Amino acid sequence: MKISLNWLKEYVDIKIPDDELIRLIGLRLVEVEGVIDETHKYDNIYVVRVEKAEKIPDTHLTLCQINTGKPELVQVVCGAPNVREGMLAVWLAPGATVPVSVHEDAPFIIGKRKMLGKYDSEGMLAGADELDFDDKHEKIAEINPEIAKPGDLLSDVFDLKDYILEIENKSLTHRPDCFGIIGFAREIAGILGQSFKEPELLTHESVFPEGFFKSVADGVVSQDENLEIELSDQTLCPRYSAAVIRASEPTVKEKYLSKMQVQIAKSGTFTHSKIVDVTNYLMYLTGQPLHAFDFNKFVAIGKSDKPKIIVRAAKTGEKLTLLDGKQIECIESDIVITSNDVPVAMAGAMGGITTAIDEETKNVLIESASFSLYNLRKTQMAHGIFSEAITRFTKGVPVGGTFNVLAGSIKEIGGKPISARDCYPQPIVPSVVKITTEEINQLLGTNYSKELIIKTLQNVSFEVKESGNNLEITPGYWRTDIHIKEDIIEEIGRLLGYDNITPTLPLHQTASKNQMFELKSALRNLLSKYGANEVLTYSFISERLLNKVGQDTKNSYRITNSISPELQYVRQSLIPNLLEKSFLNEKLPVNQFAIFEINKLYRKEWGLTSEDVPVEQTWLAFTIADRKYNNKTAFYQAKKYVDKIFKDNNITATYLPLKEDRPETKPFEKKRSAAIYINEEYVGVVGEFKKSVRSDFKLADYLAGFEINLDLLLKNASTKKRIEFTKTNSEDVTITSEKNYAEVLAELEKEYENTEILPVSIYQADNQSSKNYTFHIIHKL
Amino acid sequence: MNNLEELKQELKDLNLQAAKMRDLPPEKRAEFGRDLNRKKQTILDKIEAAKKAELDIAAEPIDVTAWCGVNEPMPEFYPTELGSKHPLMTELDRVVGIYQLMGFDVIESRQLDDEYHMFDSLNFPKEHPARDGYDTFRTEEGLIPPAHTSTMQHRVLKAYKNNLDLGKPIAVVVPGRVFRNEDVDATHEHTFYQCEGVYVSKDCTMGDMLGILREFFEKYYEQKLNIRTQPGYFPFTEPSLEFMIEKPKSLGGKKGDFLEMLGCGMIHPNVLKIAGIDPTKYHGFAWGGGIDRLVMLRYGLGDVRYFESGNLNFLREF
Repeated sequence: MKISLNWLKEYVDIKIPDDELIRLIGLRLVEVEGVIDETHKYDNIYVVRVEKAEKIPDTHLTLCQINTGKPELVQVVCGAPNVREGMLAVWLAPGATVPVSVHEDAPFIIGKRKMLGKYDSEGMLAGADELDFDDKHEKIAEINPEIAKPGDLLSDVFDLKDYILEIENKSLTHRPDCFGIIGFAREIAGILGQSFKEPELLTHESVFPEGFFKSVADGVVSQDENLEIELSDQTLCPRYSAAVIRASEPTVKEKYLSKMQVQIAKSGTFTHSKIVDVTNYLMYLTGQPLHAFDFNKFVAIGKSDKPKIIVRAAKTGEKLTLLDGKQIECIESDIVITSNDVPVAMAGAMGGITTAIDEETKNVLIESASFSLYNLRKTQMAHGIFSEAITRFTKGVPVGGTFNVLAGSIKEIGGKPISARDCYPQPIVPSVVKITTEEINQLLGTNYSKELIIKTLQNVSFEVKESGNNLEITPGYWRTDIHIKEDIIEEIGRLLGYDNITPTLPLHQTASKNQMFELKSALRNLLSKYGANEVLTYSFISERLLNKVGQDTKNSYRITNSISPELQYVRQSLIPNLLEKSFLNEKLPVNQFAIFEINKLYRKEWGLTSEDVPVEQTWLAFTIADRKYNNKTAFYQAKKYVDKIFKDNNITATYLPLKEDRPETKPFEKKRSAAIYINEEYVGVVGEFKKSVRSDFKLADYLAGFEINLDLLLKNASTKKRIEFTKTNSEDVTITSEKNYAEVLAELEKEYENTEILPVSIYQADNQSSKNYTFHIIHKL
Repeated sequence: MNNLEELKQELKDLNLQAAKMRDLPPEKRAEFGRDLNRKKQTILDKIEAAKKAELDIAAEPIDVTAWCGVNEPMPEFYPTELGSKHPLMTELDRVVGIYQLMGFDVIESRQLDDEYHMFDSLNFPKEHPARDGYDTFRTEEGLIPPAHTSTMQHRVLKAYKNNLDLGKPIAVVVPGRVFRNEDVDATHEHTFYQCEGVYVSKDCTMGDMLGILREFFEKYYEQKLNIRTQPGYFPFTEPSLEFMIEKPKSLGGKKGDFLEMLGCGMIHPNVLKIAGIDPTKYHGFAWGGGIDRLVMLRYGLGDVRYFESGNLNFLREF
């Protein structure tokens, strides 16, 4: 959202420098994303009078002599069709930058030049588009002689030396009132410690003559009762105010450039016609979007003598062509404005083409209403409509303001109301918050006086009553976000400045350990100490990758709105990512590496917790690769690492030939992998990968890895370490056998009690089926 | 003839059938073609599987109970100088370590959670636009890979409620991985790390919150810092703030150069109530901020995409 600082200043008296004000807005109201400096945008641009205008034969050009406020006339060649003697125009003097190009890479600077080889032309007469107030290039801008004279700086006439604040909308999600200049100005008054003067615009009494209305069950209606409003569901539309006025002049673009056009242009919308300009102007000023219908078209569509506005939920498939020409097929959460049940506008989003204001419009129906922000949010998403109006409606336009702003529009348009109605079946009762000074100071950690608190709230038009120790606070209708004590505490803390709160440190107990967190930290230290590198990879993987390692997609939670197919499934194992990263690093190339990742995993087969969320487990996966080691068995190096992990946690793991299939074992080659057990409980797998998997991932031969369940490791870990520092003697023993290592070791252990037996080597001669196992035996004395 | 050759023969037969298509009346051709393609795909899949099986069948068994290969030297660890920890994890350990010194317990965040913990228990009205601001991913079951570590707030409050009865505060930090559905570029990642803090006691104040946060950042950057706040909006805190620090000189900061570090605020009474804590008796505050940004600032990194790249040329620098 763009906010003009000059426009704000019309509603609040600001005596501090602009940069200080912008700083305070950032500290106490909202994030200011950027500030556009327009203080020099309109330098060297003047109001001038065209004294002579002669057509240059055989061209569309006019040779003009203009009065720039100095005695000598200046000659300018102008191509616009509307240039004529006596008019006040806008002149860009030589040296001026064309305003619309100010923020371009190469701003266009006006000079003197010769036109058609013989006519000197100094500067140029500008169109509203060149001045950045319109998007259509039609003619030159004309200035009302009642507000300016030749030689006046344009920036003085329209108050153009300005800063435009770019506001981060997200930080005002809860403050619909701040989506208008008045609400924003009210906050600034509060921040500056001044009381805010509520503008008269926000009352309706002066617009409708006395006795214009009579009361009815659901609100008020003009005596003629010539406007019916039916709200089919008050949760969709709790209040709908509308008035019919006669268009006083043809509803075309205004003849003279006006302050209103300038202000809406600065806010982000270009001029259209007086009536539409007024609706936009009031939206920017008050935060209440308005919509203008051609009333005669509206009545004709309804095919009834008595105009009837029905606001209702759209029917699925109902079609509506919007003002921008797009045809919309409604969904049932859309809200439509209908004329006697024929949809004519998408409520809160955009008007329909069938009731658009045009040059022929005689009577205008103006709507000022509040709609369900929840429905409009769905409308916004479903149809991709991001108009200024819907941006405001999705913040929840306050119900209390519709009628006042409607009255304001009639005043600005300058017409007389013919018929009007305010349909407001269940007026909202403002919430009163009771709070004590102590409660406020206690939560903030401040020592603000009662007087300061009351003044601060009154400054932003809260009603404050004292009742005993309590303050009874009633917010204005525009503060739909104030319900509880904490809301009032926020107002005080914020308006008086959080920066005035002294930081303090509470004292409390010591922390207890998180064992899994410590374990992961220890594993990281351990593995990196032994030359491995920790990686982090995404938690989501592709169907392709799951298939590559043989893991079933049905066991993975699937993301329905994934960024790409690459990130569609929640992973069930870490190994696929590590294989992918192994390939990446082999290709870099890194010749020798071990990588590991510790992370959380989810599988559908693990079911749900007592909280009904998926069971999660923490796993560690590891791969080791070496492009030069082709004649060695990678399995044993990976096993050395995994066993080091267990040993460090005082766990004795058993390694058995891998038999069964589990998601994490799928890519492992069963003939060259082991299932790891702790006390007969399976905890993971270590091994080499299937040749088919390696070839699929384009990985070199020397490659092994493991994946282990850290929850189970933690369950079995102990910190008990016995340091033995006794005298020993040792011997080496070689046993020739056809059995496997574990069996030979078991026999040896039976024979040598109270010893530590370490493996040394395994030798097998050519053409021999038996192997020589050599052990180092340490006798404990 | 082995399985693979049989399959290849089947495929050939099928291709021959394709020629028959011409003899069919035009209206039947489409159906015939579809059917043929289905059959063809099944066979191609089988061939693929058979090829893989053929590759794998050649694997030589090894003794997985042993500690080295036959006639091979004992395996060795890689040298320490090759090793590294991930910078995000190193920094997360540091962050958590400082909070632990300040008396905060550690609970890690989940990576797959539900609407209730992500939004409902945090006082987000149903279908409120504030939910849009989080750009969440969703699974078919409606589960959410959390977009903020606040998803653990409700659990922390419930788990530590007893502290309050014992006259002790709740003081917990929650590190974890979070996810947002946004396009990745040098400064945006869909996957990143956050650390959340939760503190509840009888008489804590916003001054306490600002004090704890300043203390943390001063310890983290090992110097005195200027802090600043700006109003924010989160449904689960009231009042809500954005917390900023003046960029430390040691990291090239200039005066007045403030960095947004985290969002924070006094815990909304509804959030306490939903967790079974009486908001008229107890107050609390909470905060949450990104870890990736801290690390980038600390090491002067310009591209967030390195973190999850798995690229050893990057990781071995740490």
